[in-house]
Order: sequence, then C-alpha cells, then structure tokens
Amino acid sequence: MRLILLDSNDELRGNFYPLAFSRPLWELRCGITSLAEKLIARAGATDVAYFVPDYMADSYRAKVKRPVNDLSVLAGDDLLILEPRIKAESFDLAARGPSEVGVDEKGRTLYARIAKDDLPKLPTDDIGKFIAATRAKLPNVRTALPAWQYIWDLILANPEQITSDFAAAGRKGIEGTVEQPNAIRGNKKDVYIAPGVIVHPMVVIDAENGPVYIDQDVEIHPFTRIEGPCYIGKKTVLLGVKCREGNSIGPFCRVGGEVEESIIQGYSNKYHDGFIGHAYVGEWVNLGAFTANSDLKSDYSTVSVMLDGRQAIDTGSFKVGSLIGDHVKTSIGTLFNTGSYIGPMALIMATGKPLPKFIPSFAWFVEGVVTKGFGKGRLYETAKMAMSRRNCQWSKVEQTMWDAVFEMTAPMRNEAIKKGRRAMLNR
Amino acid sequence: MATVEERVKEVTARVLKLDPDEIKPEHSFTADLGAESVQSIELVAMFEEEFGIEMDEDAALSVETVGKAVEFIAQVCKEQGVDVEGIPEQ
Repeated sequence: MRLILLDSNDELRGNFYPLAFSRPLWELRCGITSLAEKLIARAGATDVAYFVPDYMADSYRAKVKRPVNDLSVLAGDDLLILEPRIKAESFDLAARGPSEVGVDEKGRTLYARIAKDDLPKLPTDDIGKFIAATRAKLPNVRTALPAWQYIWDLILANPEQITSDFAAAGRKGIEGTVEQPNAIRGNKKDVYIAPGVIVHPMVVIDAENGPVYIDQDVEIHPFTRIEGPCYIGKKTVLLGVKCREGNSIGPFCRVGGEVEESIIQGYSNKYHDGFIGHAYVGEWVNLGAFTANSDLKSDYSTVSVMLDGRQAIDTGSFKVGSLIGDHVKTSIGTLFNTGSYIGPMALIMATGKPLPKFIPSFAWFVEGVVTKGFGKGRLYETAKMAMSRRNCQWSKVEQTMWDAVFEMTAPMRNEAIKKGRRAMLNR
Repeated sequence: MATVEERVKEVTARVLKLDPDEIKPEHSFTADLGAESVQSIELVAMFEEEFGIEMDEDAALSVETVGKAVEFIAQVCKEQGVDVEGIPEQ
C-alpha cells in the first residue's frame, strides 16, 4: 500500500495561512510531531508520496526524500490518499480493502482508498482529474471524520496532543545531562530528557499537570521553568524562559521571556523578554526584545482573526494570540493585538501601540503604516543572512516559491500600501 | 506647473520637516538633510504619490542627493509616460 498525502490547492488552504503559504498542511505541528508524522504512523505506511500546490513543488522536493507531484506514484500499488486536515487519531479505515472514497458533508474528498485493480479506470495525467475520477467511478461513502478547520485549532489542541503524543512515543527518563541543583516536579515517568540535552543548574521541570519531552541536544539555561505538557525540539536553546503549559517548540529555536500554549515551527528566535501566548510562529522568525502578543481580550469575548485582511472570523475561543508567518522580523517593543495575523516576510517596526490585526505578507510596517519599504529583495537578503547563521542555505527554488507567494498576496498588500499612503499624506 | 525639482524639494521638505528654500540639489538626503532610514521609505512613497509613478525600491533608495533624485524621477516619469515640467538635461 502506498500512502499519498494530498494538499489540494483549494480555498481551505487559506484557513491555515500564514503558515501554509510556504509548506504543505501536513508539515504543520501539533503536539510533539507534525500532522504528516501522525497520519503516516496511523496508516502504518512506509511507501509515502506527496502532492502539493505547484508553486511550492520544487521547494518542497528539495526538502524531502519522498516523491513530490510525481504522477508515476498513481500506479503499481494499492493507494490510500489522505487529505491532511483529517485528524489522525480519528482515522480508522483499514489501509487495504475495496475501493472507497470518503466525502464530507460539503462534498469534499477526505480520503480515497483505491484498490490496485481499479487504477486502470482512472486517468493518471493530472492529480486533479485523478481525484475527480475516483469520485465519479468508485463507491462514495459519506463521512463525518473530524478535521482541522483553521490554524488556531492546532494551537488550541496542542496541550492535549502533546500528552497523547508523549504516550505514543513511549519514552521516559533522563538520558541527557541534568546539572544540580535542579527540580523535577510531578511524576518522573512524565518526563523524558533525550541524549545530548544539557540542563543547567536552577531549572524547574514541572510535570505535575502534563508530560515534558525534551528532545536531543537541547540546552536549557538557568532559571528556566518548563510546565507540562510541553515539547522542546532538537537543538533548541531555552534562555531562562518561563515556558508555561502547552508549548511545542520546534528544532533550532532560541527562546526566552514567557511563552504559553504556543507552537513555534522551528529555526526561530525569541531570545529576549516579552510574552507570546496561544500563538503559532513560523520558521526563521525573529521577535525583538519585548515583543508581546495579547491572547485574551479585555472584555473576555471570543477572539476573531482576519485571514484575508477583510473578513473577521470568530474563532469561538477566548484565547488566540498571533499567527506569525515565516521570516517575520519584529523590532523591540512590538505589540500584537489579540488574534493578529502577520504575513510571511513582513518586517515590523513598533509604534508603541498595539498594531493592526492584519499585516500582509512582505509588508514593511513602518511608522504605523504598511509600506513597500526597501522591497522584497532586501527581505530576501535578510532571509539569506538569517539562514546562513544556522548553516542553512537560501536556494533558488525557495526564492521562486516566495516570488509566487509575493504575487499571490499582492492584492492584500497593495490595498494596505494604498491605505498607508493616505495616512502618510494626512499627517 | 511646478518643475520636477520644485516638486521634489516640496515633498522632501514636507517629509523631513524642512524649509524647501533651504534644500539644494547637492544635498545628501541622509548626511545633509538628516533623513533616517524610515524617512527614506516615506520619501519614496511620497515621491510616487506626487508624480503618480512606481519606482523600483532598490534603485530609488540608492539615490543619495536631491539632484540625483530629480534626475531619477524625471527618468521614471519619462519611462512611465507621465508628463512633467522642467526635466533636467542628461
């Protein structure tokens, strides 16, 4: 059986912006692992292939070893095609069996199990046509499988997901170095410290309310307090951080200040003081000292978010912080309002006040308005520099992908720039 | 209609809060007129608004003096078919 993860370039992708601009949905994190890792484990697959939106295919292909947008994978074996929004723990279809297409109440395909014998009935020259043909020619089943609807669902589910991922990982105990004095509260079975981890003296790991998983080669500086449930990714450095419950911090991050119930994808810095809560932070982000976000409104009403810069979506939650895209840079003292959206590559200069709730991709937010700033070329130079500091390379295919994102997001940005111009003229 | 130079000086004076009569073509935006980097961004935006043109950010921000800005903007106006008065001779 071959598992195919399919990220259709449909309108639902927008529910996972700004993080989904530069990665397929299954690369998003929730708990200890990515959505892909959970789906692959659930399906028990070893043969896996991907279909992603065309504009990111080359970039993604350079990052993974498995086939990407390779139509030849549509032949030769039984197939299980999954929509990455499916919640893995609720997916219990046998990987092998007669052909069956799972369709949700809105008529969207959530999965397709295709027996090898049925493959000759289906066109294999285009993945869109292939999926449409499965719907037309194979038995359809109405399914109410739970699925992730919006990016903040991942944030809100994160604490619980860490707990279940910890149980699934089956690891516990101390394999790294814990320098004394230190304190581990709660049940030690709820703590895993991987090989290569160095925990400096005067660190508190509190697993009383949930497990703590500290992955390989993490370094934890003095006066850090980690509350479970929590996951700290490989080679991350914690700098005296108040790491409150429910955080998943990806690999190669540097984190200080206070962080609560947030997901940091990886390779990002929040080195200094400042609070981030109920946030999802992308890769290669740098949050300047005292950058903070609100995650709770003063009137305790539910938080709304604008994913497209126009329409506010009620999250239904009292707590949602910021959604911060890849390569965002903030100056010292940046203040994000509750439920803020910051598009990838945006550069923010603080104004001393909470910023607008929607800042488009590639925006130079200066003196309280969105501007063209020094243009995307300078943002690419900065990205290149930031990546080289971690021995990572900014590649041509990556730049091509970002060029496509720049074009896709131009209408929202241009509108904001016009608004900014009017504000400048009225000063 | 005011010339390109007069309009450039007017915008520069407004953004940097200076007297337009004190601005000379040889003045550097940063060293002589005290433009900070964020004001440079605002200057480019306001020149685009003033002349109804689109400028390449990198090229525009590499212009150092008022006189060079006049030449650069006049050239962009010409390329983009915008009529202006007093185009300096190249």
